[in-house]
Amino acid sequence: MSTDDSFAAAYREHYWAVSRFVARRLDAGEAHEVEEVVADVFSIAWRRRAELPAAPLPWLYAVARNCLANTVRGLGRRRRLLHRIGLNESAHGNQVVDSPDTERPGSWVHEALARLSPADQEALRLTTWEELGVDELAVALECSPGAAAMRLHRARRRLRAEIDRMQMNVRAGRAGAESRD
Amino acid sequence: MYERDERELRAVTDHLDDRGDLDLLRAANPVSATTGPWRDRPLDHVAERGLNQLLHRTRARRARRRVVLWAEAAAVALAAVFALTMPDLAAAPATAAAPGALHPRDDAAVTLDRLADRAESAARDGGPRLRAGAHVQTWSLAMDEGPDADRPVTLPEEREVRWRPDGSRTERVEADGKFLSERVFPPSRSDAPPRARPPHTAAALRAYLTEVHDPGFPRRTTPAGTQELLDALPSLLDTWTLGARESAALARLLADSGGLRPAGTVTDRLGRSGQAYVHESRDEHLRYMLILDPDTGEALGLEVLFTKDQPRFAVEAGDVMSYSAWRR
Repeated sequence: MSTDDSFAAAYREHYWAVSRFVARRLDAGEAHEVEEVVADVFSIAWRRRAELPAAPLPWLYAVARNCLANTVRGLGRRRRLLHRIGLNESAHGNQVVDSPDTERPGSWVHEALARLSPADQEALRLTTWEELGVDELAVALECSPGAAAMRLHRARRRLRAEIDRMQMNVRAGRAGAESRD
Repeated sequence: MYERDERELRAVTDHLDDRGDLDLLRAANPVSATTGPWRDRPLDHVAERGLNQLLHRTRARRARRRVVLWAEAAAVALAAVFALTMPDLAAAPATAAAPGALHPRDDAAVTLDRLADRAESAARDGGPRLRAGAHVQTWSLAMDEGPDADRPVTLPEEREVRWRPDGSRTERVEADGKFLSERVFPPSRSDAPPRARPPHTAAALRAYLTEVHDPGFPRRTTPAGTQELLDALPSLLDTWTLGARESAALARLLADSGGLRPAGTVTDRLGRSGQAYVHESRDEHLRYMLILDPDTGEALGLEVLFTKDQPRFAVEAGDVMSYSAWRR
């Protein structure tokens, strides 16, 4: 199979996975925004197709990460604007909302995740949302497997610490509320 | 309120044993692979179109890596035709004729440094402003690859990019004098080069073109060299029509980069007089000839030709790989 054929096969197989990767990091932005970034991702991947590995998806994620870093500069300006005009809910786009009728702890997890450094967040997202193993994580993060494992380990530890801290805050808040009652 | 919060948190922390933290994150995945707009399924028309564009663009680019033997007589005739007809895009006949390599007259050569001085001086006096959109005419080659490759044929193409106030743009393409396509692209949120407004200092322009050449991946630590700048240049000039300041910055950048030899005066494929600057890429056996307006430094054209036979592509030394002509 020629390089072009390999690229076309990877495109067909992974187009939607790359779209989900982008949608998650644009907080599931509007469809045309996601499509636009995905087009950029594959355009860059195309130029680099000689490097396309046998298992292309983690490599495509690496391309997408770098590509998003470029596009997010524009996005950042838009979000700052949205914040200023008070539309930051849609800009934040927390997809799992905290509502009385849900028992899912999703909002807590998102909040805890958001308190971590971007590097920690990415290691955790790639592992859970993109379901990468450590070797694949290393490709996506462009580091050694050992470094990837260490980054994931630390990120998990910090995530737990954040959740613990949030739990303490809730208890403290509850105690305060009771003492006022 | 707090009871519910704590109940949820307890559910969270109960999960945290073993790999529960990761399971929780998995459950909080905001974009599903089985439902919603990004679920797994065959490519939709947008995705198919994207793939086709990449594959097609490659063929066009490959075409530029092919060579055509263009008769000098045809080139002269062609220049006359374009000089007469180019001002009116709709009436301009793209041509299947294949002009040969341009031959600068090795006289009155102006160093690039001197030309950059002139361009800077012209920019100080005013001159045209940067404009979004471009008008470019290209000749490139459609070719085969392999031991039985046929001689390549020329693909002339004329493309006009117009931007609208809302940030959307239309691209109209003609080939062989026939309307090929007109597509409207929605406003882009990306501000990566070449969509970003080009800067008007040499240093910033080098960074800009470096990013055009290697967008984002992997992060480069060294700026683009002369050949990379020349490779990136068409992306910029196919998107923007440079103003006087940007043209001066480009001339200065190329003068500072070195590796471009003044080759004298030349008449370009649209009949315009320019100064030719030549860069030899010995590794790739390519010769780049950039044609600049002698007074303003405005980039008029870029020709790339092979300097060595390439039997694999059925091309010969002296064959023109690609030629782009930009006009205001």
